[in-house]
Amino acid sequence: MARLSDAADTDKGWGLKRLWPVWEQAKQEVQPLWATLRPYLFVSPATLIFILFFIYPILFLIYISFTSWNLISPEKEFVGVANYIELFRSADFRQVMGNTVVYTVLTVSLSLVLALFLALWLNRKGVLHGIIQGAIFSPYIISLVSVSLLWLWMMDPQFGLLNWVLSWFGFPPSPWLTDPNTAVYGLVLVSVWKVIGYNTLVFIAGLQSIPKEIYEAADLDGASFWQKLTRLTLPMLSPTLFFLLVINTINSFQVFDIVQIMTQGGPVNSTNMLVYFIYENAFNFFKIGYASAAGVILLFMIGLLTIFHFMFLAKRVHYQ
Amino acid sequence: MKRSIHVLALLFCSLLLILSACSSSDSSSGPNASASSATKQKEVDVSSPKENNEPVEIEFWYALGGANGEVIQEMVEEFNASQNEVKVNATYQGDYYENHAKVMAAVAAGNAPDVTQIEIGSIAAFADAGALEDLTPYAEGENGLELNDFIEGLMGSSYWQGRFYALPFARSTPLLYLNVDMLKEHGLDPAGPKTWDELRQFAQTMSKEGEVWGFETPIDIWFYEALVFQNGGEILSEDGTEVRFNSPEGIEPLKFWKAMMEEGSMKMPPGEKYNAWDVAASDFTNGKVGMIFTTTGALNSLMEAAPFEVGTAFMPMKKSYGAPTGGSNLVIMAQSSPEKKEAAWKFLKWMTNTEQTIKWSKRTGYMPVRVSAVESDEMAQLYEEKPQFKVAVDQLEYAKTRPMAPGYSELQEVIMAEIQRAILDQATPEEALNAAAQKAEQILK
Repeated sequence: MARLSDAADTDKGWGLKRLWPVWEQAKQEVQPLWATLRPYLFVSPATLIFILFFIYPILFLIYISFTSWNLISPEKEFVGVANYIELFRSADFRQVMGNTVVYTVLTVSLSLVLALFLALWLNRKGVLHGIIQGAIFSPYIISLVSVSLLWLWMMDPQFGLLNWVLSWFGFPPSPWLTDPNTAVYGLVLVSVWKVIGYNTLVFIAGLQSIPKEIYEAADLDGASFWQKLTRLTLPMLSPTLFFLLVINTINSFQVFDIVQIMTQGGPVNSTNMLVYFIYENAFNFFKIGYASAAGVILLFMIGLLTIFHFMFLAKRVHYQ
Repeated sequence: MKRSIHVLALLFCSLLLILSACSSSDSSSGPNASASSATKQKEVDVSSPKENNEPVEIEFWYALGGANGEVIQEMVEEFNASQNEVKVNATYQGDYYENHAKVMAAVAAGNAPDVTQIEIGSIAAFADAGALEDLTPYAEGENGLELNDFIEGLMGSSYWQGRFYALPFARSTPLLYLNVDMLKEHGLDPAGPKTWDELRQFAQTMSKEGEVWGFETPIDIWFYEALVFQNGGEILSEDGTEVRFNSPEGIEPLKFWKAMMEEGSMKMPPGEKYNAWDVAASDFTNGKVGMIFTTTGALNSLMEAAPFEVGTAFMPMKKSYGAPTGGSNLVIMAQSSPEKKEAAWKFLKWMTNTEQTIKWSKRTGYMPVRVSAVESDEMAQLYEEKPQFKVAVDQLEYAKTRPMAPGYSELQEVIMAEIQRAILDQATPEEALNAAAQKAEQILK
């Protein structure tokens, strides 16, 4: 009642509205609700997609990982944590995890370090630098399937291009992908080659956003190349570096295509990585529950890694 | 408190959207809608051939690339042109492994093809999972099929638990392929080696260190099976529940391969799975190797690609001749609608009739799967002109069915990995096969 009279006092100029006190009250009460709801309505399409394609599948994945299921039968037998126990007991799975970690660490560190130096070199004007930049980037836009086939031929131990080139310099031929001890390095080589152009490009973009004045000031103070790199460039570049580190780690952890095309996990499981392991168990061996448990572990590992990155490394990132 | 209200509001809005999305399109989506749309489709399918003369469209996923894949496409086109009741859309889906994986994923997603090719070692797994349509009533029905005309030795892979699931189609056995020119050059019998010992002697004679190898074979389960059979052994017991390969008969083939590789008379092609097969085939046609094991299904393309005379022979014997049958059968997926299954059955019958069998065999090298085809004048004439084509059929006398067990598609990968371990000196053949046997117990249980 009090509210109604307030409205009557303030809205003196709107005579007509006094005839509609009920409307006035309803409007006042609805408006705050509408104001609260409105933003949610705007984000709800995105949320809907997120729930449908991310949250629901993840929950379903976790549910499946506690069952024994062949993908077709209507019954999903609940087996508790049996799939997880089997995974942790399996020597193959331990090897798969080991392979994935070795591959990720090598791919990420090599591609970041090499890309950084390439970016430092290419970050200047000139036709030659433009061409090189384009050439380095081109693998990134070629389909991974063709890339893998190409490297497969080059890495042929007997007639491949790589061993032929090695022989010019007097190196002994390498077995490349046919030896379980070297196969994973072959895959690292291909993926570094593939991703380095992208990393370089992002680094160059990062370098170009660093104000020139800082370097001029450093030059006036007589800073050496190394000092400029470690004290100026790297800190200024740290947001870029951090972004690439997170993205590259996640991507490497999920490597699938080159494994599928080049080695199919062999020889002797030496290049079997987590996602290929999941694929094989799910779609070739029809062990969906088992594969889902591995999927949950993959999710967990990537989550942990990313949290680690943000907790321990994000602090050291310097944003301008 | 405030936060929970926010979350509730968000969920409420999303729910509203979901509900509105469902209600506006209830004929095509939503959990209950799928059943109704399926029945709708059924009605359409039943009525359409009669009323509108619209053909029933079915999807066929096949797993043979290259020249053999082209033959399949041609046959499908011919089938489509030959009648107007069924229209088949054929799609290449990669090799057997890839096709199996895609079919399985599609079944789960509810958009599986109606007809596909399943490699015979995986038929038990697919049938056991309930993915395949039981073809027994089709074969016995009014529009049935004389199953007796199919070669008996090829039918073992068609049954699972007494029911008939798959029609023999692209069926093969491994053969010994010979570079006849190279054999003659070295004064060797152009008919090829007859025994393991002869194979080794022949290979030694033709090998030239680091340049030419006398013999090459992918270290694949299929060829290993062959050698175990030749040696009088078994992979699994008859009922597919017990491991038999870690026996002296199973160990000896590995020792044989290892010895030949160590002395440089045998090459293991690099690459995994079918990549290795491609390498072996290209080494053969490039004259880098004198003899290879590969499928009879590669016969026509190898004869066309090789600049020398290609010979074929039985795989050499140890205690006896022996080989597994292989290749793939045609199946109908259980998920399809009854009308599509009916249409698919017509297609299957056509693809495996005597006339098509002859054509398929002549164009590829795969075995004719019907007795009437083998005995036809056309095949007789082909065998006269190209005796290489007859070897696979003759070898059938010694051929065995691959193990039929749902777990075998996984077990074969385990055995292959362990064989590789032995070949690469990471384990002795005994250790490797015992390790495989141990894992097998778990897989087969």
